[in-house]
Amino acid sequence: MAKELWFTEVLNNAVGPAVTSVMGAVGLHPKHAASPINDAVAMEILVVLLLLAFFIAVRATLSVDKPSGFQHIVEMGESFVGEQAKGVIGHHYERYIPYAMAVGFFILLSNLLGLVPGFESPTANPSVPLGCAVLTFFYYHYHGIRHHQAHYYKQFVGPVAALSWLILPIELVSHVARVLSLTVRLFANMFAGDLVTMAFFSLVPVVVPVIFLGLHLGVALVQTFIFVMLTLVYLGLAVSEDH
Amino acid sequence: MDPDKDNGQGNFWRQFGKYSHLAFVLPGAVVVGLLIGGALDRWLHTTWITLAGLLLGAVAGFYELIRTIIQASKET
Repeated sequence: MAKELWFTEVLNNAVGPAVTSVMGAVGLHPKHAASPINDAVAMEILVVLLLLAFFIAVRATLSVDKPSGFQHIVEMGESFVGEQAKGVIGHHYERYIPYAMAVGFFILLSNLLGLVPGFESPTANPSVPLGCAVLTFFYYHYHGIRHHQAHYYKQFVGPVAALSWLILPIELVSHVARVLSLTVRLFANMFAGDLVTMAFFSLVPVVVPVIFLGLHLGVALVQTFIFVMLTLVYLGLAVSEDH
Repeated sequence: MDPDKDNGQGNFWRQFGKYSHLAFVLPGAVVVGLLIGGALDRWLHTTWITLAGLLLGAVAGFYELIRTIIQASKET
């Protein structure tokens, strides 16, 4: 078994046997019974814990007169995402900001975790971006159905009834392709970022890796933005009145 | 969309986000079509659905590409 990160080891020591027994109860058997939690899941748990701590700190220091630094960060993010959502979705965009913000913060922190020694980006494992993409897929379809009710199917059959048999499979494939596109882009960029940083760190351990860490930081920010932006675009298409 | 409150920089980022997925959606649709066709071939013990899925994926990719470009041209 490959060496696991220290945080994964701590988690497996603390709750590993309990996780194995719960998984066994639902018919799942982890590859390594002694350490059922892998690095990606452990890093995801860490990201969730950090985000919880961050938002508790924001809530505890919430103030109109003297906003804290944490509050400024959240307000800045909300304002940026809100502006993009308004441009892409139009009316009633406010409803979708919480999801976009939540997925954005999760992906951003997951991407940035790879910059900290002793940790790695959970998004460099394909299952994590896939989870986010599948969640987004169900979320925008849910809102499409909620908005259009039974008429949502019209988005999949095109405007010409005689061509609906041709448009329907094309639309279905293009919607599934969105999941693949979201997954592969995030995973490939973060994986490549980690790999390049590690490769140069092993070649020249002084100064040079800093350049690639800077590059990784840029990629982390851009990929988060693209994921959030595409979530808004798909939401906008799902709730739009044009068919 | 409220054009009065929209600024050029916000529009640039939106365009950047929208167009960045075009590079992935075309090959992505081809792969999805291929995988669905392959799965159906294994299930139904046929050989032609993989090819049909591949072609359908390519068409779906172009469809998404053209739809995005038409939408963008409407916005500008």
